[in-house]
Amino acid sequence: MLSPAGAATPCVSLAAIFFELLKVASLASGGGLVWAHRFIVERRQWLTETEFADILSVCQIMPGPNMIGVAVCVGAKLRGLPGAIAGFAGFTVVPGTLGFFLAVFYLQRTGIPLFQNILVGVSATAAGLTIGTGLRLLRAHRFRPVALGFAAAAWAGIVIGKFPLLIVLLGLAPLSIAAAVVDRARLR
Amino acid sequence: MSDLPPLGRLVLQLTLLSSIGFGGIPSVLPDIRNLVVVANHWMTDQEFANFFAVSQAMPGPGMLLMMGLIGWKIAGLTGAAAAAFAAVTPPCTMYFISYSLWDRFRDAPWQRIVRGGLAPLTIGLVIAGGTVIARATDTSWTAVGVTAIAAALLLLTRINPLWLLGAGGVLGGLGVL
Repeated sequence: MLSPAGAATPCVSLAAIFFELLKVASLASGGGLVWAHRFIVERRQWLTETEFADILSVCQIMPGPNMIGVAVCVGAKLRGLPGAIAGFAGFTVVPGTLGFFLAVFYLQRTGIPLFQNILVGVSATAAGLTIGTGLRLLRAHRFRPVALGFAAAAWAGIVIGKFPLLIVLLGLAPLSIAAAVVDRARLR
Repeated sequence: MSDLPPLGRLVLQLTLLSSIGFGGIPSVLPDIRNLVVVANHWMTDQEFANFFAVSQAMPGPGMLLMMGLIGWKIAGLTGAAAAAFAAVTPPCTMYFISYSLWDRFRDAPWQRIVRGGLAPLTIGLVIAGGTVIARATDTSWTAVGVTAIAAALLLLTRINPLWLLGAGGVLGGLGVL
């Protein structure tokens, strides 16, 4: 690590963790990672680049909403379990509650055709954005036909086969991991 | 499990799904839709798609918001809090534990292999989540076109997705879809 000896993780108050992640969450719509990095690493210098990268790798192997995981891990790194809870709360409670009441306010007005029609447009677009996000991630695997095959199989299991997620994962994960083992052995 | 009240069933299902939902909540949307729209008729497809749309347009943790809205529809504010809690607690616990253990197995080769094996599945599941929502929401060919264009623009350009959501809302508001 490049930081000088003894420059351990700085002592940060729980309130500071809460408010910093609250700021990240308020700006986070569409790409919160950029903001998390800017506030936590660049501006506050609570974590080094390496420490932040470690957090990202953990949050990419685990299931669940990844940005919330980053908030939990940043807090955990700085102050252990209380820090993790402060980071989580800062990232979710205030923006989540505000967003919830705004959303309910809007949803109670969907009897008005204009309001309902706007939502149809937003929903069609957001579905496309989700598909696009997946396709973008898939690009990294475009030279690995086996990986493309497993992505297609998972997609088909849900969309065409209409199987529950648990069944698709239990059925495909062992095969897909076995294929990764073979792939790795071949590269050696 | 069928003798539980609706909120109990939703919470149970969300806890299970959020524990296994590699790739985040888009990948569990098809299962949640099956539970709340297809199997139990707690809401219509249109309401489900509305919740998705609103939660994507708000800043902050969007998918958490969506689970809260589904809980709200089923059991009011208590439902909202319970559903949001069920959706985030298992993954957050796992993040905390695995990050605490991280140093112990950071260089373990099995970890890279498992990640390499799961990545394509995760990606397929995210695309499936988008497809299932598109099917629930796109009742006209124009709407299908909007979905396709949004996916293509995200894939091929670096345009801020908020502009696309705004444009989709305007098209919808004009009654084109």
